[in-house]
Amino acid sequence: MSTGHTSETRRQLIRAFSSTRRRLGLTVGPSLVWLMLLLLAPLSFMIAVSFLKVNDAYQIVYEPTLANYGNLFAGSGPFWQSSFFQSLVLSYELAFVTTIVCLALAFPLAYLLARRGGRTFKVVIFLVLLPFFTMYLVRAYSWFLMFGSNGVINSTLMTLGIVSEPVKLFGFGKFAIIVGLTHAYFPYMLLSLYASLDGLDFSLVEAARDLGASRIETLRDIIVPLVLPGIISGSLFVFVPSLGAFITPRFLGQGKVLMIGQLIENRIDSLYAINYGGAASMFIVVSIVIAFALAFRYVSIEDLGGI
Amino acid sequence: MPSHDTEGTSDGTSTNRRTFMKAAGAAGVAGLSAAAGCLGGGGGKPTINIYTWEEYANFKDQIENSLDVKLEITKGTSSAKMFSAFNSGQDAQYDIVIPNNNYIPKLLDADLIAPVQKDAVPNFDSMYGKFKEFANSQFSKGGEMYGIPIRFGWYGISYDTRAIPDPKHSYSELWNEKYKGNIVQYDNHFKAISGTALYLGFTDAFEGDKVSLTTDQLKQCKQKLIEEKPLLEGYIAADPTYIKSFEQGNHTIGFSGRNEIVEMWSNGDDWVDYFVPDEGSLAWFEGAAVSKKSDNKEMAWKVINEYISPKIGASLAKAGYSPSCNPKTQQNLSDAENKLYGAVDPSRLDGFIPFKAIENEDAWVSAWEDVKTA
Repeated sequence: MSTGHTSETRRQLIRAFSSTRRRLGLTVGPSLVWLMLLLLAPLSFMIAVSFLKVNDAYQIVYEPTLANYGNLFAGSGPFWQSSFFQSLVLSYELAFVTTIVCLALAFPLAYLLARRGGRTFKVVIFLVLLPFFTMYLVRAYSWFLMFGSNGVINSTLMTLGIVSEPVKLFGFGKFAIIVGLTHAYFPYMLLSLYASLDGLDFSLVEAARDLGASRIETLRDIIVPLVLPGIISGSLFVFVPSLGAFITPRFLGQGKVLMIGQLIENRIDSLYAINYGGAASMFIVVSIVIAFALAFRYVSIEDLGGI
Repeated sequence: MPSHDTEGTSDGTSTNRRTFMKAAGAAGVAGLSAAAGCLGGGGGKPTINIYTWEEYANFKDQIENSLDVKLEITKGTSSAKMFSAFNSGQDAQYDIVIPNNNYIPKLLDADLIAPVQKDAVPNFDSMYGKFKEFANSQFSKGGEMYGIPIRFGWYGISYDTRAIPDPKHSYSELWNEKYKGNIVQYDNHFKAISGTALYLGFTDAFEGDKVSLTTDQLKQCKQKLIEEKPLLEGYIAADPTYIKSFEQGNHTIGFSGRNEIVEMWSNGDDWVDYFVPDEGSLAWFEGAAVSKKSDNKEMAWKVINEYISPKIGASLAKAGYSPSCNPKTQQNLSDAENKLYGAVDPSRLDGFIPFKAIENEDAWVSAWEDVKTA
């Protein structure tokens, strides 16, 4: 009888997954396999290759060496004059500035959204997220049209008679890259800050003000400590991808700026120097690990997740 | 007691759980079968996978009908990416790759490509003698040829005639203070350093099988490029970006390929002009190669033969604004089209310095990085 067969099957399934370990395997197992195949395995390969050689036939030679790390800083002068070091420092600089700019722009808006809520929140979030329904490349290209000596910004300023010749600031370069990266990662900062501010007890803010604290003191001593997890998680979400960016600097730097992602990409495309690329990438990986370690020193993982 | 058939339903007319599961399972199997069909290729025809430039996809239907084959075309934007893809294991995924000529020796060195089956490429015999010569030198190893030239072009300097009516026909214009902030240099170590080397008179370096600048020559080229940097609007490699920057007025003079300018002329931009510097011109040509791991090598070479046939070759030249290496394609182009991307004075070909592999490319890339970070 099919009914009896179904009941038996159901009993067998219940028995098979009665143990906690088997239930865990079923729920967590696929994600774990995914992480191992697509994150841990490539990362392990990259770390391994950073200690190996590549011969003239572009094949990996399994002879461990530290030469790849030395070659990063090789050059005629001291190591701080090497192109790798300069590119790395520039990447940190641009990622840091982008993070600060995102924080400065997102914090007031997140505070307003947390105080107002309701319809204001929905409208603002929709407007912030609307550009993200298009492909990132399209958005980067649209910024390309804005900048440049005869881009939309300079053309408008010259047409209005505000300037008589193109403003160098609105040409391609670091400023344009910072604008592009800020535009790309602003929502991550906004949403992280909003998640923290939404849980803030604003009566504490009112109490501080009633007790005579100035706005700056209230911000510094009450608001910032309470929303620190949001600030840190938002900063990580902006800093980490900005550090390794290469599409935005390619469009908006017009080759005059060489960030570490571009340097690695060029090495691999031109020379198939995956050993060099692996060693260079380790600096990014290690700095990201350090950033997370510092973050966890001040906030717990539950706080970062907004729990 | 309710029957199992109506279990979970309110009135027995909506779908019950068992029926839903059966239907969902059937839909899943049907979907997977369809997907497998898509992945597996059509019928009994061989499938040829090609990694090539965008416009090659325009002739997919013609070739499929002509050879009774299925083509899967992946569009690439740079020879470097084609090479690194092949080198990282994707040579098993593709049958044909069509990078610039200087990447064929790299693919050869990496033992990734198969020798030409000349019987399958009869159109090779109609090619310009110069390109047969290039194929026999650059694309050959151990007496066997490994690539077929398809189209070619050359590099030079393009300029806005409205801003620069009569430039000097020299690379020196890219270092001219008069054009400060309006100059574009090519964003590639090979082209930028080679152009600078020709400007500085190091033509001997281009005579061997590989380009070989001495350490001192490379240092001079690097220094020259660093001196140029403050005069630049930027470095651009991609054709559409170069054209957009030109049309937007972001630059008035730059190092570019001829095909970008032909495209602009074809679109009615008659204010742009182009010259080949007196110091020498770098010429590129596409090299079509078949993967060593291809299961359909003969058919792959037949497909390549179609790309240099008089009819499709002419259309390909028109699509990419670059002449075919087969002069017979001129029969299928109008006089105006031949003037732009068809007929080429054979004596011009003699003056070409073809792209070549670099003797010490690691040093070139390091020098280029020093320029970019200066």
